[in-house]
Parts: sequence; C-alpha cells; structure tokens
Amino acid sequence: MFSRRGFIKIGAASVGSLALRPFGLLPALAQSGSAEYRALVCVFLFGGNDSNNMVIPFDDVNYKAYSSLRGNLVLSGADLTNPVYAATGGAPYVFHSDLSELASMFSNKDLAVVANVGSLVQPTTRAQYLGQATPLPVNLFSHSDQQVQWQTSIPAGNSPTGWAGRAADLVAGQNLSQFPTFLSVAGNSLMGTGTTTQPVALNPGQTLDLAGFNSSSASQARRAAFQNLLTLNTGVKLAQSANNIMADSIADAQALDNALSKSSPLVTQFPKTSLGAQLAQVAQIIKVRDGLGMRRQIFFCALGGFDTHTGEILAHKTLYPQLSQALAAFNNAMTELGTQNEVTTFTESDFSRTFQATSGDGSDHAWGSHHLVMGGAIRGGDIYGKFPAFQLGGPDDADTRGRWIPTISVDQYGATLCSWFGIDDSQLLNVFPNLANFGSKNLGFLG
Amino acid sequence: MFAYVAHHMRFRTFLATFAAAALLPSFCFAQSSPEQLPIRAANRILEQGTWGPTPTPPTILQEKGLQAWFVEQVRAPISTYLDQPLLGADGKNNNNLQPVQVAFFQNALNGPDQLRQRVAFALSEIWVVSETGGVNYAAAFPPLFNIFQNDAFTNYEQIMRDVTLNPAMGRFLNMVNNDKADPARGTSANENYGREIMQLFTLGLTQLNMDGSPVLDGTGKPVPTYTPNTVTAVSEAFTGWTYPPQPGTVTRGHNPLNYIGAMVPVQANHDTSAKDLFPGFTLPANQSAEQDLDGAIHALFMQPSLPPFISKQLIQHLTTSNPSPAYIQRVASVFANNGSGVRGDMQSVIYAILSDPEARAGDNPWLSPSPGYGHMSEPVLFILNLLRGLGGAVSSTSTVANAAGSLGQQLFYAPSVFSFFSPQYRTPDGSPAPEFQIYSTQSAASRANLVNAAIYNGRFDAGTTFNLSSYIAAASQPAALVDLINTVFFHEAMSDSTRAAINQAMSAVTAPSDKAKAALYIALTSGEYQIIH
Repeated sequence: MFSRRGFIKIGAASVGSLALRPFGLLPALAQSGSAEYRALVCVFLFGGNDSNNMVIPFDDVNYKAYSSLRGNLVLSGADLTNPVYAATGGAPYVFHSDLSELASMFSNKDLAVVANVGSLVQPTTRAQYLGQATPLPVNLFSHSDQQVQWQTSIPAGNSPTGWAGRAADLVAGQNLSQFPTFLSVAGNSLMGTGTTTQPVALNPGQTLDLAGFNSSSASQARRAAFQNLLTLNTGVKLAQSANNIMADSIADAQALDNALSKSSPLVTQFPKTSLGAQLAQVAQIIKVRDGLGMRRQIFFCALGGFDTHTGEILAHKTLYPQLSQALAAFNNAMTELGTQNEVTTFTESDFSRTFQATSGDGSDHAWGSHHLVMGGAIRGGDIYGKFPAFQLGGPDDADTRGRWIPTISVDQYGATLCSWFGIDDSQLLNVFPNLANFGSKNLGFLG
Repeated sequence: MFAYVAHHMRFRTFLATFAAAALLPSFCFAQSSPEQLPIRAANRILEQGTWGPTPTPPTILQEKGLQAWFVEQVRAPISTYLDQPLLGADGKNNNNLQPVQVAFFQNALNGPDQLRQRVAFALSEIWVVSETGGVNYAAAFPPLFNIFQNDAFTNYEQIMRDVTLNPAMGRFLNMVNNDKADPARGTSANENYGREIMQLFTLGLTQLNMDGSPVLDGTGKPVPTYTPNTVTAVSEAFTGWTYPPQPGTVTRGHNPLNYIGAMVPVQANHDTSAKDLFPGFTLPANQSAEQDLDGAIHALFMQPSLPPFISKQLIQHLTTSNPSPAYIQRVASVFANNGSGVRGDMQSVIYAILSDPEARAGDNPWLSPSPGYGHMSEPVLFILNLLRGLGGAVSSTSTVANAAGSLGQQLFYAPSVFSFFSPQYRTPDGSPAPEFQIYSTQSAASRANLVNAAIYNGRFDAGTTFNLSSYIAAASQPAALVDLINTVFFHEAMSDSTRAAINQAMSAVTAPSDKAKAALYIALTSGEYQIIH
C-alpha cells in the first residue's frame, strides 16, 4: 500500500502550470470576510424531481384543485401524513409521507421550502411566454440544458463556469490553503468549475492515494519519474489537460490524508444509501476543515432517478425516503460538529414535471420547481415564494399540462445562498449576471 | 437471416462506392503502394478502429492496407451475446449482468470483428439503455447489443427502427405500453421517447450545417431543430406498442415483460390523429401504429441536421474529440449520400471517418502532429487497451467490468440516457473533450491504480489476469523494451519526455522483470498514453 513516507513532494516552483495546485498551507491572505466557517452543500436531484408531489398546499381550495388534476399521481389519505404550517400566515402544507424527517425539520425551523424556482432570463408571464415576447432560457424542458442552467445560472446556456465555481473564485483567498473550495462527492460537475479555481472530486469512502509505492529507492525513483512527467509538454494538448488533473489529484490526496489522519469518525450514523454515503463523506470533510485550512467550502452531492415518465408513485417510494433520511442524518451530523449554523444545504434539480399525468402514471418534463433549504442559519418552517395556481392552461402554466412558469429565478435562489456565504453585494452580479433583471436580490430565507 | 441479406446488400453498395473512388483521398493511395504499411500507421489505425494493438504485429493490415483491412473487418464473423434468463434459479428477477459484461470484454479481447464492435459500442453510447432506469434484467441487454452488432454496418435508418422497437429501449424510455391520451383519465401520451430520440439519437437541439456549425437565424441565434409541439406529435406517433407476445400467446393490450424480439403494435392504443412533424413531413389521420412509426422515423432520418449530428459523434468516438469543420463536412456528406445515392450507409460513413486525411495525418512521422488532435481513451477502451497490450485474459468469473466502473463507466449502467459523458463536454480551457467529463481527481488516481494492479499484481481479480512475459523478455536490453512499449502503446510516436521518464524509473532497478514493470507503469500512467492521438 501507499506510504506517506514515500511521498515525494513537488514544490510549487517545479509545477509549470497555473492550473496546478501547490502543496501545503499558505500564510493567511488578507481577509476580506470574517474568520468564521461557512459551507454550502448542494444536493442535485438528477432527472427532474416532480416537486408537485413533494410538498402540497393543504388548504381546501388548493388541495381540491390538486386532486382534481393530478389523475393517477394524486396523493391522499395515507400518502399525506406529514402536515405542516407555514410560520408566516399559518397556511397548511403537507409533505409526501416518505418525507417525514423533512416535515419534522420544517416544524423545527431547520428547513424551508422555496416555491416555483427555475431558470429565467427575466420575469416572464404566460402571455409573454406564449407570445415569445421576452427572452427565454434556451432549450427549456431538456434535461442537459436545464441541469447546466441550474448549475451555471446562465440561461443562454453557453457558460464555461458554474455559479458555485465563480463564487469559489471569489472566496478561495479566504482559505488558508490551496485545497479546492469546491469538492464534489458525485464526480465532475460544471457547477464547481471556476475561472481561477478547479474542483476536487472524491468518491465517498475512497481516497486519492496512488497505490504501489513504498520508501525504497526504486519506488521513489519511479514516483519521481511519474511526477516529473506530469510537468513536461509531450506535444499533445489533451495530455496536458490530463496531467493537470492528475497533478491536482496528487496535491489534494496529500492534503486530505494529512487532515483526515488526525480525525476520528462521526458519531452520527448515516443511512447506507448512495446519498447517505455522500453526505457522510461531506460531514467528515467538514469535521477536518481546520486541518484542511478551509473557511469557505462548497460541496456537491447527487441523487439520480427522478425522471419519472412512468411509475412515479413507486419510484418516489424509494427516492424520497433516501433523500429525507440522508438530509436528516446530515443535519444531525452538523449539530454533532457544532456547525449547524455554519452549513447550509440546498436542493437543485433539472426541472419539475407536468402537473398532468402521462398514460403510464408518470409525468413529463416541465419547468419551475419547489426546492428545500436546510440548516441552522435558515429561517425555517416557512414557504418562500408562491405556489402556482393549480389550473391547466391557467395563468402560471406555460402550456396546457401544468408546466409552471417559475416565479423565482435560479439567480435569486443562488444569490440568497451566496450572500449568506460571504459574496458581497457588489460581487453578486459577477456570479449571477442576470440578477439585475429581478426585483428582489435576496429571498430572505437566510438570516 | 434478414440481417445477413441486408448486410450483404450494403456491402455491395460499399464496393460500388469504391469503384467510383471519389471517396478515397489521394493520401490513401500513396499509403497502399507495394511497400507495406509502416507499423506506426498500422498500429494507429488499430488504436482508432479496434480495442487496441497487441504485441503481435498486424501483418495483414500492414500488407494489405487500410482499405482491404476495412473490407475484412466488415466481413468478419459477428461476435454475439447469449440471451439471459428473465428469472434466476430462485424464481426472482435475474439482474445479474456479470455474464453479459464478461461476454462484452471477451468479445472485445478476442473477437475478429474489432471495428464492428467499436462502432457498435459507439452506437450503444448514443442509443443509451441503462440498468439504472428500470431495465433491471440481465435479459434486456443481449438482444439490444446484438442489434448494435448486427446493424453496425447497415443503414442508420435501420438502426433507428430496430432500436426503437427493441423492448429494452421501450422499457427504458417508456415507449412500451405508451398509450394515446385518455381524456377520461386526464392523461396524455408520455413524451420521453419522442423527446430523446430527437435530442440524443438523431437531431440534437440545434439545427446544424453540414460542417457541424449551428444554423443561425437573422439575429444570430441558433435555430432549434424542433418545438414542444414536435415533441408532442412525435410522441403521439410512437403510441400503441407493447412487448412481443410470449411464444404461443396472443397480444392483448399490454403484454407481459419480454425482451426477446421486437415490440408489437396494439392499434386500439395508438393515437390516430393527424400529426404535423416537420415541414414537408406530416402523418395523415387514421394511420396504423406501424405506418406512423415508419413515417416518424423516416421524417427524422431525412432531417438535414442528422448527418452532421451523428457523423460528428462517431468521429469523436473513433478518432478525435475536436474534428475540424471540414472533416465533419466530409463525413456528413458521405452520410447524406454515399456516392450511390444512399443516405445513412454506415459502411461508407465509418470508412470516411477512418480514411479521412485528418484522421490519417498522424500516420506520417514527418508531418508535425496537430497538438489538439485525439481523444481520451474512455475507461472501457483504456482497460481493453491494457488487456490486449499486456497479454490479458478474461475468464467467465471475471469482474473486469468493475474496473471500468471504478473509473466511472460501469458497462450497462450509464447514469441516464445522456450516457457516461456528453459529446459537448469541454476541459476548463475550452477544448472539446467528451471523455474528460468522467476524468476527475478521483478517477485519475483510480486509473493509475488499475495500471499498478495490472503490472505489479498481475491481475484485477482472479478472473482478469495479465501476462508481461513479452516485455520481460525484451527487458534484458532496456532500449528494446522501450521500443516494444513504444510500438504497442504509442504507435512509435512516444515523446522524448515520456522516454526519458521511463529510463529514469528503469535506472533504479536491475532485474529485467523490475525494469519491465517500472517502464510499463510510467508509460501507461502517462498523460500521453491516456490520449489516443
């Protein structure tokens, strides 16, 4: 196995490219923000979560409209055992019965719902949409495009950077090391690609260590040859790109090993699911934030399977418990670490789904979606924004199947998170260039 | 039987194309002079058109040249996949894909139809079906992959039709048992297949010129290939199909799950309204499910964006991530018309990709290579390159698929219909590089660790082993060893930097086996080796 003693350091001076990360802790740079820790944790629900059945207005008028229109997707009776009441106004809502942990956190004010969020260029009405009277996001209802727009907050769809990557560019200087601000436990994601910073990807429960090296001189010579080669130009452009990623991996492996070796496991037990393992890994890294020299971090997790064109009721019965239980465990872990007020978790997803069902008891691609924000800093127990009018072809419908036109943009959602995270108002427009098109720059769900 | 006839017919079409000779770049004729193809050129062709060179020199390719080799590859016996039982011995769903994964790797390691398999695999990454989308039966995949194998050198319209009616695709994208709208139940036909066959399998989102550039409107904005209304109309055209009936049974409404054979129509569940698909392509009212399906597939097949959209992806899978507009245009033009008036002729398209001057430029050691050329070997290809180059063996108990899985490409388990990586993915510096979407700090380390396992442990698992004897035999003369590695893994184009690093690692050990292992570790973990160029 790999031995740290056999590790040969390559100093910053020997690394030829700016994209490569040097090793070790750097002296604290000039601090523009406070020294406290803050982290954002994104849980991306791939495939397009039908949030119409995640949380439902439970007053008589809305629930009646809901049940008359959702066909075979309607939830009733035993499906709806988690009623909650909005802190503002006291209106009743109900969570899907497999989201009981989320309902409890809502009642405990650790969680809030942001209603009808989606990609927009500017505020858009049904008449404007149908008349093509305002600029619209490109390729609405397409998975890949809408995922990208949620991750970049660029509705024109041509961004080389993600909004979290641009935010990371701005806050990276507050960290005490060169360890990446953005860490994904779900592979590469455009969301964390910045102009000057690049993400690190780490699979849950794994390391970035290179196997097969020891302290013998032969092994060290081979390691030195391997690492030297990373810095040399072989005349193949993509080879340099691959070398940069490998060099980052080596640098990040050492930083993670150093920090994690001094740590003990979390007491909080996470569910043995994909999302549970991802959030457990995130919590473990937050635990060693001081060892890593981190004051600002953004994490990326993912849960797939939400593209429920058929068999949606059954699919939610496995997806929603996984989501609810993993988020609850993470919330408990943050309490264990004393970071409950320093870490804010939020969901993203491609889009929500048609209110009208398909013939196979599912739903098709739609647009605006309800989202979850969680953590001690959240002004929880409330609904932010407005649920759409449940009326096919009604004022909030893009067509006739209940594709709700968003009333909150991804820019506003992200800007609210980033303001709390420590991005100055003057810099928010660098992260969210279209934010000026919207009236409110802060949705108020974070203190 | 039908596949064989169609295959034979297409082959004649292809030969007719050769007779015209218009397709063959002059460079090709220069190469097929009486002198044999240099090993550099031959192994480069094998990197692009097979699962990788082996230490045995490719004498047939060297002696006969690309054109004759291509014809032999088209004629080679087709590797197949055995059907798997729907239920296991315990009576429960059989979702054990290990035998099918092993068949894939064994076919790739040893099968004579190497180019066909590469094309079939590329098709499987365009027409994606994944176990993770409800297709949790091992029985689903052999018939689908046999279609890719059988159809790889037929016509793209035949591929469209055969995969559309494949039950695994039907289940994955919900075309099976997709019934017309029912006002009483408040339902409409589901749009999953209608949308994705356009976005991913045929046209893409933006209309394309033949060189792959977007068609722009008067204000400079890209013109979409379809509207939400097109999605609805195409979805309605595909309604009314169910699983093939079990032998001895009659189709009634929704047949039970069956992955063997093609889906069958149920007219009562088909939407018979008129459908407006594209300008010049409407489906009249009261057509049968078969008529509407044929009409919709033909309408998609005839759209002008299809040749550049599919040609560029096939180029990216076989030769380079960033083809020039001219290269795309040359291949797309052959896709649109193979010279004999046939659109979608896959033999001509694949030959156009491999024989193009841009693909062949790197064969010539005196031409300075374009630094932006090439593509990263995706995990499945990387592992097969290792197996073929390092005397690998895959037994029936092998778990070799997990090796690719550890790099983000678990065969048959793509995360979604968007496959393992997007053809649009770019590196942070803006270079098109689809395979880099799954090359991260994590998978970079894992890739090096697989090389370590192959070389220093001699195996990935008990059923996946490597044999370094030809390299160890060469290692008594280190220069000969480096030459062998250079030939098998770098088509004799290894950079001086990589050669120096290999020598640095070798100089610290004395035994030939240690020298061979150190040299191979450096060579196969190098960035240069990860990029097929």
